[in-house]
Amino acid sequence: MNILIVDDEAPARDRLRQLLEEDGTHMVVGEAGNGKRALELAAELEPDVVLLDIRMPGLSGIETAHHLNTFENPPSIIFATAYDEYAIEAFEASAIGYVLKPVRRERLDQALELARRLSNSVLGDVARKSGIPDRRKHLCKQSQGELKLIPVSDVQYFLADQKYVSVFHTNGQDLIDDSLKALEEEFADTFVRIHRGALVAVSSIDSLRRTEDGRTQVMLRGGSTDENEGLIVSRRHLTDVKRRLKKG
Amino acid sequence: MASAPEADDKYSQAILPDFCAAGTILVILLVAELVAIVLTLASFEAGAFLTELSKMSMYLLWLALGGTAVMCRIRPWAEKQGNTQAFVICFVLLEVTCIVLAVVTYGLTVRFAEAVIIDDTRAGFLLRTIAISSIVIALAMRYLYVSSEWRRSIVLEAQARISALQALIRPHFLFNSMNTIASLTRSNPKQAEEAIEDLADLLRANLSAPKDRTTLKEELEVAAIYQRIEKLRLGDRLSVRWDISELPMRALIPSLTIQPLLENAIYHGIELLPDGGEVNVSGKRINNDLRITIRNPVAPDRARKRDGNKMAMANIRQRFELAYGSRATVNVEQTDSDYTVQLQFPCEESTT
Repeated sequence: MNILIVDDEAPARDRLRQLLEEDGTHMVVGEAGNGKRALELAAELEPDVVLLDIRMPGLSGIETAHHLNTFENPPSIIFATAYDEYAIEAFEASAIGYVLKPVRRERLDQALELARRLSNSVLGDVARKSGIPDRRKHLCKQSQGELKLIPVSDVQYFLADQKYVSVFHTNGQDLIDDSLKALEEEFADTFVRIHRGALVAVSSIDSLRRTEDGRTQVMLRGGSTDENEGLIVSRRHLTDVKRRLKKG
Repeated sequence: MASAPEADDKYSQAILPDFCAAGTILVILLVAELVAIVLTLASFEAGAFLTELSKMSMYLLWLALGGTAVMCRIRPWAEKQGNTQAFVICFVLLEVTCIVLAVVTYGLTVRFAEAVIIDDTRAGFLLRTIAISSIVIALAMRYLYVSSEWRRSIVLEAQARISALQALIRPHFLFNSMNTIASLTRSNPKQAEEAIEDLADLLRANLSAPKDRTTLKEELEVAAIYQRIEKLRLGDRLSVRWDISELPMRALIPSLTIQPLLENAIYHGIELLPDGGEVNVSGKRINNDLRITIRNPVAPDRARKRDGNKMAMANIRQRFELAYGSRATVNVEQTDSDYTVQLQFPCEESTT
């Protein structure tokens, strides 16, 4: 199996490499010191398994795993942690592969044997149970081997089409693979659904405006009437939108 | 600089009883009635005990209820003024209440009563009221003060005992260090050996019977050992600048305070910064005080979420409060990019 090692601490990476290379059946194809580098390497090297430290600066292990899942061919994931009572409980409950540091040889072999791909809902579950913030700080967009991270704080709104979700952010527009429903659940604190196919960042709403035909339209900060054409608030969501705006 | 509202609240509450509560009022009325009985017993003329007692009771109960009503309103404000001030304020206000009520009572009886109820001049009556009420109020205040101090010391001691337990090293650190050592045993056995020695020293310092205070020299040594172990793990991401030449090494400090603060600075600060950063530990002598400041950079998105940190900070605050009372301060300052803890405490040198 081709393995990618991700840990922010050099000695921890060395240790995993030593254990894996001794055996001869596995190959370490790369090492990354942070989540972003891990995503780049994973896109480039297409490893079978990613060994992922949970606590890292920048993108956490859980967030990195989320993004790995958006790949066309997502790798299997094994988490590594020194001490995280709650995360471990969650791993056990969801049958997620993990190893504890200091890593024991047999445990690592066992985890590699059982390594599997993880669904985002399973990851979300782990994050909730272990008290690690589940909400991603970035959205990940991958096309032709190129990786783009869009900070969630830059996002103004999401629009769902038949199949894809477009994300409109301060630096343009991108198609992403996440479903609108999952996005709504994940970012419930900061985004509000205005109709069946649109999710808007509460902070980027300037006001609500009555159109000539009596419908209500969301006006974005710095946006013009034309630009906001798609952002009609459906009657079903109107009270909710107003309530969220009042709350700020 | 932000002080610590959560810790202050915990200690300052309930200096005075809740005068608005029915239970307290009942006790006060009971005491007033007992005083009335004592005073009557000491002075009544033969055969007139019940008449005298009812007059005395009526007057004293009126004073007691008036005073309680004033206390009920004033207590929340008075408690905010600090312990001693609260008692002084209460004493003065109760005295004033008694004087006002005495003047009113005298006026009313002279004007409306058909028989002579108060057999004294106005000045005499006032003086007697003031003398007796000051003695009774002073006794009550003293009783409340002693019992609140007693409760406070019990709470503080219990908290300090728990704190000593909580000061133990984070498991996260322990397991990560072992992982580092496991890795080093192959690549750099000499470093691994040193790391094990350091870890052993650190654990010994943590497990030894909790000392109240230790010398700065020892405390800083423990912190330096801790830094060496973390340095192996974090490499270039961690640097620590020590500006402590001004500090007298024989001075005393509550044990295991600098090391946990350094641990916090690394765990909540440096570790979460992709490129790491520098922790700055600096010490100054200010007159008879020592001031030690520990500053670390924080990741911008972490600046507001520091929940995990509260316990360690509360713990250190308690230990300083127990050792120095109000002569020490523990301040925390937090900006978007920095986290600073400042300890200031009296410089007391070790005699051994």
